[in-house]
Amino acid sequence: MDNVSFQTTVLPLSDRLFRLALRVTMNRAEAEDVVQDTLLRVWERRSEWEQIDSLEAFAIATCRNRALDVAKRAGRNTVPLDKVEGSHLSVTGTQRALEAREQLSLVRRLMDSLPELQRTIMLLRDIEGQSYGEIAKELGISETQVKVYLHRARSKVRAGLGIMRD
Amino acid sequence: MDYKYIEQLLERYWECQTTLEEEAILRTFFRQEDVPASLLPYRQLFLEEDAMANEHLGKDFADRMLRLVRQSGQAQAEGEGPSSVGQRQEGVFVCKARRLTFMRRLRPFYRVAGLVALLLSIGNAVQQSFTEEDEASVPQMAEAARIDSLQHITISSPEQQSAALSPHTSDSLNAQAR
Repeated sequence: MDNVSFQTTVLPLSDRLFRLALRVTMNRAEAEDVVQDTLLRVWERRSEWEQIDSLEAFAIATCRNRALDVAKRAGRNTVPLDKVEGSHLSVTGTQRALEAREQLSLVRRLMDSLPELQRTIMLLRDIEGQSYGEIAKELGISETQVKVYLHRARSKVRAGLGIMRD
Repeated sequence: MDYKYIEQLLERYWECQTTLEEEAILRTFFRQEDVPASLLPYRQLFLEEDAMANEHLGKDFADRMLRLVRQSGQAQAEGEGPSSVGQRQEGVFVCKARRLTFMRRLRPFYRVAGLVALLLSIGNAVQQSFTEEDEASVPQMAEAARIDSLQHITISSPEQQSAALSPHTSDSLNAQAR
């Protein structure tokens, strides 16, 4: 009975939480541990679900906090931008496929170089397709702030891609 | 081909003015192979975001989670302790203390009290039926008692007493009457 409920309510959130934890911790194994802890915590507090406005927002907030703790402990918050630029300079492959792969990883590294909040907001909006209202609720900030941080994030990514184009 | 609409959308995207639907249009556009050179650098962004959206946990993760939940559920059930008093668990006799109210403490006596009440009422009913039989014979007895008392009164009248005390006198009276 409990397992059925866990399977239908909490478990479907795992991939979303994993992507979030992965963007924050930058480490697959750690992200997996974070998701496991988050799901168990959310499940243990099921008696309080009725008082919670949105189970998803609660899970995402819990997951982000745990992931931030892990990243902080590992002394890993963002990938420095010079690393990204260095990899950009090394893109000299003649093969188109190799070039494309390098470009893909450049985008990823550009995103990873963003401050955590900007990165998380970009993930929630562009990858998870959430509304500004949902993101605001999950992160405990205003919709205007969400837009401000997203604008900064997109501008940086655009600038990074622009350098490549020139 | 005119890409003005896409370019406009993209410009609004950087300014965070696009809706989720418009962003979906951009994403669909950049998924196609045939993208003009001017927009090509941005294609990578949307393709990479698509790839990120497809990042999943391993297949065994769900099974592992279900096992963990089941285990934690069992641990919780054990932590809550046995529901009945004095349950034997792994060789340890666990006795759960409970606070009893005065009325609950008296509960075993309720049955005794009920039984006593039942016996009393049965006894009463039986007694009453006997009494009714007695009452049926009361008029005869009362009559007999009245007769008795009348006899006593007759016996204890002064004339009879004097007669009893002096038989000679009564004889002389009889003789006088004669």
